[in-house]
Amino acid sequence: MDGYWTYLEQWSPELAVAALQTLRLTLLSFLVAAVLGIPICAMRVADNPALRYFTASFIEIVRGLPVLVLLFLLYFGLPTLAPDLRWSSNACAIIAFGLQGGVQLAEVYRAGLGAVDRGEKEAFKALGLTPFQGLVHVTAPQAFRVSLPPIGNYLVGLLKDTSIASIIAAPELMLRAKDLSSSSFMPMPIYILVAFIYFVMSYPLSMAVRYAEHKTAKA
Amino acid sequence: MGGFWEILGRELPRFLPILLDGFRITIGVAVFSFVIAMTGGLLLAIGKMSKLRPVSLACSWYIEVIRGTPALTQLFIIYFGLAQYGIDVPGFLAAVLGLGLNGAAYVAEIFRAGLTAIPDGQRQAGLSLGLTPVQIFTHILVPQAFRLMLPPFCSYSVQLLKDTSLASVVAAPEIMFRARILIAETYLSMQIYLLVAVIYLCVSIPLGILANWLHRHLHSSKTARA
Repeated sequence: MDGYWTYLEQWSPELAVAALQTLRLTLLSFLVAAVLGIPICAMRVADNPALRYFTASFIEIVRGLPVLVLLFLLYFGLPTLAPDLRWSSNACAIIAFGLQGGVQLAEVYRAGLGAVDRGEKEAFKALGLTPFQGLVHVTAPQAFRVSLPPIGNYLVGLLKDTSIASIIAAPELMLRAKDLSSSSFMPMPIYILVAFIYFVMSYPLSMAVRYAEHKTAKA
Repeated sequence: MGGFWEILGRELPRFLPILLDGFRITIGVAVFSFVIAMTGGLLLAIGKMSKLRPVSLACSWYIEVIRGTPALTQLFIIYFGLAQYGIDVPGFLAAVLGLGLNGAAYVAEIFRAGLTAIPDGQRQAGLSLGLTPVQIFTHILVPQAFRLMLPPFCSYSVQLLKDTSLASVVAAPEIMFRARILIAETYLSMQIYLLVAVIYLCVSIPLGILANWLHRHLHSSKTARA
């Protein structure tokens, strides 16, 4: 047992750097997803039925695939078609998680907008606001409050899912752990340590989500 | 791009049986993990609601720890971690155990949400009719909670199906694993992964639609899966 402590000192700095990479990957994917979700949501509720059905199918397809398949299509598949599209594993991970998150968040936004009382929409029309002004100043802020817990849940899930990016060798916590365990032949303590690091990162986040859920449930 | 579809058409009769055979294993992993997750989840839910403090604490912490760590890390602990102590778990079994024990934590929360959503008056009514606690549980609580829990269970199965792709990294011979072997022989990664995508979608989209339909018809927005 004593031996582990010396290793711990050796592993900790490397794993700490890798944990930061995981956080960066999570944050970048989240930003892509949060932004991408807006046009997808807009297309999903568009007046044009063709656009609406196309977007709905797109959402079902992207959501129905394991993220690993998306990662492999982007990282291994695309370059065989067009050699110019040889992106780094990190970029592929951000695109794959961003895309899958985008369709997920689009549905969250849509549910949030749907939850806003119809009277609110009638009220801003009566006040002479344009539909866009109404969305920005009346509907969206209220929808955002309702959407906050599911967005938070998505973020917690994303943080853990980024570990899958290690399979295409994107630099993050799980990849570092794999390297360390193959050089030290001590996978158990390393993976336990890594699980602990993930837990320390995700637990406060999920506590915050539960607090927000509790608040919105009361309101 | 003509060559792309041409190659796909030519190789399809060779690829498809291999990939479908892999998908059989995928379904196997999913079904066995589902059984473990449901059994474990029910026990955890009952344990978490227990009046015995150590039991409820242990169950809560199991749920928190499992939900706070990636499934991939859990799989690696079972497959690579245990091997360090001479316990070699075969890939298929490691995947089933890993995904099952992981799923149990999520399923437990679905069970608990479903069971606690039933108003206490129902239990009291059962008591006043002279039913035993077990009778109340099986005849009053479970049938009502079942309706609430069905949609989230359906969403969970879609999630589980997709998560079985992780089994390929512990060398369970499922569809992603077979795809990788085919690609090593043919270098046709785009065609093969597109086929894999279509095969997954054939199951995950109908399941997803079923989940949505159940959600609408049993109007149980309260128990949405976290």
